[in-house]
Amino acid sequence: MDGIIESITQFQAQEPAVFALIIGIVGAAIISAVVNIGAMLVIWGERKVLSDFCNRYGPNRVGGRWGILQLGADAIKLFTKEDIIPGDADKGVYVWAPIVASMATMLVAAAIPFGALHIGGKDIPLVVANMDISALYVEAALSLMAIAVFMAGYSSNNKYSILGAFRGMARMIAYEVPMGVCVISVAIMAHSLNLVEIVQSQTIWYAFAQPLGFVIFVIALITDLGRIPFDQSEAEEEIISGYNTEYSGIRFGLLYFQEYNNALLGSILLAILFLGGWQGPIIPIPILDIVSPLIWLLMKVVIILWCMIWVRSSLFRLRIDQVTDLGWKWMLPLSILNLGWAVIIGSYFA
Amino acid sequence: MINASEVLSSVQSAFPGAVLDSRVESDRRLWATIDSEKILDVCKHLSTKLNFDHYSGAAGVDWIARNEMEVVEIMASHGAHQVVAMLKVKTPRENPSVKSLTGLYWNANWYEREIWEMFGINFEGHPEQYPLLLPDELVGAWPWRKDFKGYPDLTTGERAIQITTPEGYTELHVPPTPAEVEAGTVVKERPKYPSFREREEKEIKSDAEMIMHLGPQHAMVPGPFLLDILVEGERVKKAFLDLGYIHKGIEKIMENRSWLQGITYTDRMCYVASLSNNECYCGAVEKILGLEVPLRAQYIRVILEELSRIQSHLIGTGEFLTLIAGVGFAPWQYMIIDREQIISLIESVTGARLTHTFVRFGGVRNDLPEGFADKCSKVLPYMKSRAKEFIELFEQDPIYHLRMDNVGAITQETAKRMGVSGPPLRATGVSYDIRKEDPILVYPELDFKVITGTNGDSGDRIDVRLREILESIHIIEQCLDRIPSGPIKTETKVPKKVPAGEAYYRVEDPRGEMGMYVISDGGDKPYRVKVRGPFYATFQTLTPLLEGVYIADAVAIAGSMDGCPSEADR
Repeated sequence: MDGIIESITQFQAQEPAVFALIIGIVGAAIISAVVNIGAMLVIWGERKVLSDFCNRYGPNRVGGRWGILQLGADAIKLFTKEDIIPGDADKGVYVWAPIVASMATMLVAAAIPFGALHIGGKDIPLVVANMDISALYVEAALSLMAIAVFMAGYSSNNKYSILGAFRGMARMIAYEVPMGVCVISVAIMAHSLNLVEIVQSQTIWYAFAQPLGFVIFVIALITDLGRIPFDQSEAEEEIISGYNTEYSGIRFGLLYFQEYNNALLGSILLAILFLGGWQGPIIPIPILDIVSPLIWLLMKVVIILWCMIWVRSSLFRLRIDQVTDLGWKWMLPLSILNLGWAVIIGSYFA
Repeated sequence: MINASEVLSSVQSAFPGAVLDSRVESDRRLWATIDSEKILDVCKHLSTKLNFDHYSGAAGVDWIARNEMEVVEIMASHGAHQVVAMLKVKTPRENPSVKSLTGLYWNANWYEREIWEMFGINFEGHPEQYPLLLPDELVGAWPWRKDFKGYPDLTTGERAIQITTPEGYTELHVPPTPAEVEAGTVVKERPKYPSFREREEKEIKSDAEMIMHLGPQHAMVPGPFLLDILVEGERVKKAFLDLGYIHKGIEKIMENRSWLQGITYTDRMCYVASLSNNECYCGAVEKILGLEVPLRAQYIRVILEELSRIQSHLIGTGEFLTLIAGVGFAPWQYMIIDREQIISLIESVTGARLTHTFVRFGGVRNDLPEGFADKCSKVLPYMKSRAKEFIELFEQDPIYHLRMDNVGAITQETAKRMGVSGPPLRATGVSYDIRKEDPILVYPELDFKVITGTNGDSGDRIDVRLREILESIHIIEQCLDRIPSGPIKTETKVPKKVPAGEAYYRVEDPRGEMGMYVISDGGDKPYRVKVRGPFYATFQTLTPLLEGVYIADAVAIAGSMDGCPSEADR
């Protein structure tokens, strides 16, 4: 094992450009697979867990009693369905909106560490693009989703869609700001904008070091992901399906998938920023000790996702004016307060 | 509290000669034929002097043998007294026309529109005499008149041709044959009035406004009805409502079925409250027949109707929750699962889950099965604890209060003026329950409270329903304790032909006041059945309530009314 790592490091030193290219291509292939399969598992998990909350069974026919193949069946259905583009739609924008949404997700996925491998006494982070400002970059790439939502809603030429797009836009602007401030607060405490270094710097989880920031970030994240109680942009009882009303077939599938991709990536981001990422005691069993950071991160992500589903099954949806009210009048001032706290505590520990 | 004969004498002394014919059926029922010239004055007298503040509806009757038509105005009071006055106004069959009461009673609007489109009786002074239940192109045939022969079959008729209407729609049209024109059975020309679409588009004042559908194809609606809202951004500026998507013409169908067959049609009006519909129809017929219902049958009816109320309130509340919380909301599923237990209880007696056809003239179809009381004693305490849990859950939820407080609030006066009944009325604080006002069966002997709210907003309406579940359980428990043994059907044989007569019978449906006006001409079929549906009355208030609210609130308000369009359309 050590020999392989040594030769890889040697190769990296000799041919840095080629090494970066290979890592990029292989990494892109791996993260697309991981993120999409992960999203499918999230969808399946949401169905199962939500059914459990509601005293139902959930999918239990396709693929045994756990319904594990249900998603495959759903994906095949979506991908083989007729793809309808409304006659009055703005075709170019309409076609590109799901693609922009996918791209936004992949851009986020590129910079997010999916965990680490514990080899030779140290953690090797699994991240494709390990940049110095990855926290800022991820935050920026996440908000690209808002543009995709607006493109979809605007180009559909549908009344429900445009209302959904407006709602989505208003909501995201109101919550991107406090979310960004929270990320900055974390970066100030960690003295770095690099997500890997943020994880490494967490001797105390930032959820405990700045609880206010944690709460604000969780609420802003749920808003960003468009989940109940903040799913106004696709509130089906009010505006049918919101911005994706007119979409069908594979394009709808892409937009639908993005929501779950983002849920997965958002949970990872939350775990990394506030819950110590992949940190945790190393399991003293051969092989398991290598992947033990991965296991810790996975456990945290699963718990976060489970809580999100719990919230969905037990909270009412807020009205859009109440959402923006909450965002601008409460979340933003409180996040700035948290920033001050982070500056004081951060400089004290420094 | 005044009674029917005092009302009659008061009217007679105030307007000598206005009452052409009268009959005091009991302390609570007054039948009077009023001079058509004086009907407005009489109604004004009733509403201002005698507390008749509840305009309960109107029925049209076509007396073809006497060559005249009748409009029967049904008036009652919100608790000041218990008299129901049935005021008949006669008009000739050629160019029938009576005075509109819309100036006096706001909610007369829909009842009069319905009579106009079905019977062709013109209402002088009606502000918007447009079709309500019928599609525009069918107006003019007056389908509920006794000499109506049916529409030409547009689907198979060889003579049908496609025409384009002035509004730009394509429709099938059957040109009349000369014989038909001579007989006068076809629509000769379309009446001149703006279509629904034109009325809507007239209201659009600027580019920032648009019309958005909230039905019939929408996740919000509990059944098909057209609700269009004129929105500017997130604000609803005006709402437009159109009914008739599931208009089945039940009232007309019942005129062509035997008395007994009519019961099955009442089931289909509102399938979540079919037992109270059964009760209403059977009660009216029993009144004409003068049948006495055995005590045991009365108790069985009360038990089942209260069970039916519980399950109706559970599904009504549950569906409402999905509107403001999404379908993944767990309590809504809990309500459906709990409702299933009540449904099974009813099923064990009636054999059907929703359409029971259980009540019979002078009794019920069959007795309670073995061990019914034991089953009830298991389910009811559980339901009680669940209902309390739900009440607590919503009371403590801050987001629920954010969404529900003062949303769609109605004041007591407005609610009375608009003719709302049932939980939406009681939520405003008016203690008006037909079980107390016009008691039937064994209700007077039972101890129960009328649940009222305070603000009359959406949250209160839900709260009243949930608390009514507790009261219903209390009623059932009393009934199970007291139910005597004995026959479940009347000893006298129910004749096939019901003697000539008429009756108006009211029950407290889960959705409010339901009344049926049944006329017999001595035949084996009803001459006329008029259903005064509770949701039809509540439905009418939706458009004014939606003005000026947010879209999300519009959905919450419409949902909190516990809609049953199937019963409104009939």
